[in-house]
Amino acid sequence: MRFFTALIIRFYSAVLILFGLATILLSLNLLPAATISEASNYLLSNINLRIIVGLSGLLLIIVSLSLAQLVLGRFQREKTIAFSTASGQVTIALSAVEDLIRKLSGVIPEIKELRPDVIATKKGLSVDLRVVLKTEANIPDLTSRLQDITRAKIQEVLGLEEQIIIRIHVAKIISSEDKDRKHTDKSIPAVPFSGYSRT
Amino acid sequence: MHREESHNDLGAIRIHDNVIASIAAVAAAEIEGVKGIEKNLKTGILELIDKKTANLSVIKVEKDKHGDISISIPLIIKYGYNVPEVASKAQENIKIALEKMTNISLKDININVRAIERG
Repeated sequence: MRFFTALIIRFYSAVLILFGLATILLSLNLLPAATISEASNYLLSNINLRIIVGLSGLLLIIVSLSLAQLVLGRFQREKTIAFSTASGQVTIALSAVEDLIRKLSGVIPEIKELRPDVIATKKGLSVDLRVVLKTEANIPDLTSRLQDITRAKIQEVLGLEEQIIIRIHVAKIISSEDKDRKHTDKSIPAVPFSGYSRT
Repeated sequence: MHREESHNDLGAIRIHDNVIASIAAVAAAEIEGVKGIEKNLKTGILELIDKKTANLSVIKVEKDKHGDISISIPLIIKYGYNVPEVASKAQENIKIALEKMTNISLKDININVRAIERG
């Protein structure tokens, strides 16, 4: 299969390179229009050549479709964690694990927003967390707590025994002053022209 | 859609794939911790045409060359439940329900956990 994929990609690259070269030669006037006309006339003159040209076109279409399927199929394949039970296979989508981690933001009040990105590797799970903190809490302490809670929750809910690497990136810290300012801004509605008075 | 067929003295009894899918869906939903079956774009479009069978389109019922039936069902699990435990219970309940209602013994019951949501 890998050989077939490599063959298709090389063939397609060769065709595109030839097409590109032909376009460059045409733009540099190194490939006169008369030569192209002669070549096309020659191809159309013989029925066998016409069949070959037609079949080549069909082959190109098939190769293009196969390549598109290969590329899109690879992107569309969903990443999962899988294990087998006596009754069959259980697969857990990595997006489901991300859902689970996202729900943890409610457990730690200092966290305003939590954006997880889970990747399954040969060694185990790799979790990248992008967090927005509410207050100027002790970041090493908070992040360590978050790592512990996340690891414990994944192990508890998914029953994973593999290594879980958790990386945290603190993207933003919203201070309490910011929150208060926003709150007061919202609570007092602005009156138009309130700053003006009659003299 | 193929049909599971059995014969008796009076004639043939055919069980449609949708029936197998329906039983599996109900049996899975009975398990505590299962929120439901995940819907997709296809389900959404099919719901406009036929609400009853739209949800069943995501459940895959496959029959191999030996006649063994396998089923794949995408589930949403409630937050806070142990996923392998819930999935395993769902597999067991589907197996029991299908054997009890149709006498069909499944080769594989594949559970695909697609999301975790609050119940």
